[in-house]
Amino acid sequence: MSSAVNDRRRINGPARSVEPIYTATVMDSVAAGRSDGRGLDHMRPIYAKAGPISDGQTTASASGSAFYEQGSIRISCAVYGPRSARKPNARRAHFVCDFQYAPFACSKRSHTQSTDEHETSLWLSNTVGPAIRLEMYPKSSIDAYVTVIESDGKMATLAATINCISLALADAGIEMYDTVAACSMGLRDSQWIVDCTHQEDAECSVLVAYMPSVDEVTGVLQTGKTTLEVHEQGVQLCTNVCVRVYAVICRALQASVE
Amino acid sequence: MASTEQLTFAIETFKRIRPVEFQRRFLSQDTRHDGRAFLQFRATHVVKGTIGTAQGSATVRIGNTTVVCGIKAEVSEPDVNTPDQGYLATNVDLSPICSANYRPGAPGDEAQVDSEHIFRLFGEVVDLKQLCIENDQAVWSLSADIVCLKSDGNVLDAAIIALMAAVEDLKLPQASLDPATGVVSADKAIETQLTLRKRLFPATFSLVDDAYLVADADDAEERLTTATLLVVLDDQGHLANVWKR
Repeated sequence: MSSAVNDRRRINGPARSVEPIYTATVMDSVAAGRSDGRGLDHMRPIYAKAGPISDGQTTASASGSAFYEQGSIRISCAVYGPRSARKPNARRAHFVCDFQYAPFACSKRSHTQSTDEHETSLWLSNTVGPAIRLEMYPKSSIDAYVTVIESDGKMATLAATINCISLALADAGIEMYDTVAACSMGLRDSQWIVDCTHQEDAECSVLVAYMPSVDEVTGVLQTGKTTLEVHEQGVQLCTNVCVRVYAVICRALQASVE
Repeated sequence: MASTEQLTFAIETFKRIRPVEFQRRFLSQDTRHDGRAFLQFRATHVVKGTIGTAQGSATVRIGNTTVVCGIKAEVSEPDVNTPDQGYLATNVDLSPICSANYRPGAPGDEAQVDSEHIFRLFGEVVDLKQLCIENDQAVWSLSADIVCLKSDGNVLDAAIIALMAAVEDLKLPQASLDPATGVVSADKAIETQLTLRKRLFPATFSLVDDAYLVADADDAEERLTTATLLVVLDDQGHLANVWKR
């Protein structure tokens, strides 16, 4: 449901509009296996490209950029920096993530930056920030702008966003301890399923952001209720999958240099 | 060879520190820095149906400029004055993703002006009466959002082409209103497309450096542009719009 507050800066539709109730062709339970035939621990195919908009072809191009696809999730990220910061006396760089969904990216539309996007921006800054060697760039700021063009599964999209930002930061040549790789899992019928799509989105899910080379976790996000043992199992499984995602990101970076 | 290497290095430096002079060297010789003729457009690629979450979508690339348009359809009550017409709201989104010229947050001047212009243009294309579900009770409300992913000049042309393709790609499920509950249900199995009144074809021409008229200016040429002219033709070859800015 979207209610267009009379935004003077945009062309507005009607004040209130809702989605119609869609009938027929409803997906049944995941009991008979996943709809796209994947195994329980298989991620969707990833396509990652570093540097689509930062190749210096235009005069106002970004320092680093990345385009990331995972199944039907599509994310574009541009990194600007290090550039001069507003706080000239800071000893470390100021890293900020600006996260937004394209208006058509989700099943529900919204124009104004919802609290969800604000919260996600802050969480991303805190998850990817520790991987950057901020003390190497005093008095400067590094800005990452992320736009989700198409989303498919909330936690999976968040994980993909982290991967995309890591790729863009590496493309910008910013010094980091390691690229952050993330993956998410959903709990269904007491089984952890990797990389849930929108239809598979479960009540309980966990997301882990991990730096394989230094063996450190930068972020864990858990939604829903579960026991401590099941949660630990999920985090461990996630970490294992993160290593595979890390390999994909590294290969994409190699390809961009060649 | 040492001398050719020095020459290559000098060209890149020259382009960065003296952009105006760099462009003039080409324009005065009747050519452009990417080898095109003055009135030659860049290769344009249009792909429809790229966004699964949107009811209609298209991605357009003109050279390096990439634009994505997604149309989402929702249901709402019609305006009292036009009980049989739906809504079409078009918005252009220029963000730091595409170029360092744009700030994050609310749309800036360029985005607002482009949105308004495209909105007026497409009032002629889409017949809003086709969006009626139930007279005076329920109509489709289409929100078309054009997001620029990479800007290398001439975003407006790309936006118009993208919206045109997205509207052609739009598939609306068959909707019906339940008079008892007032709830609109839609059946995805049966989909209809809109019949458009006309199709639009835009072309942008720029006056570069106050002297040279070029078609489809890219980012480097747009920086030296003193005037721009947008000409839009429809499929009958009639003039749909002329806009000088």
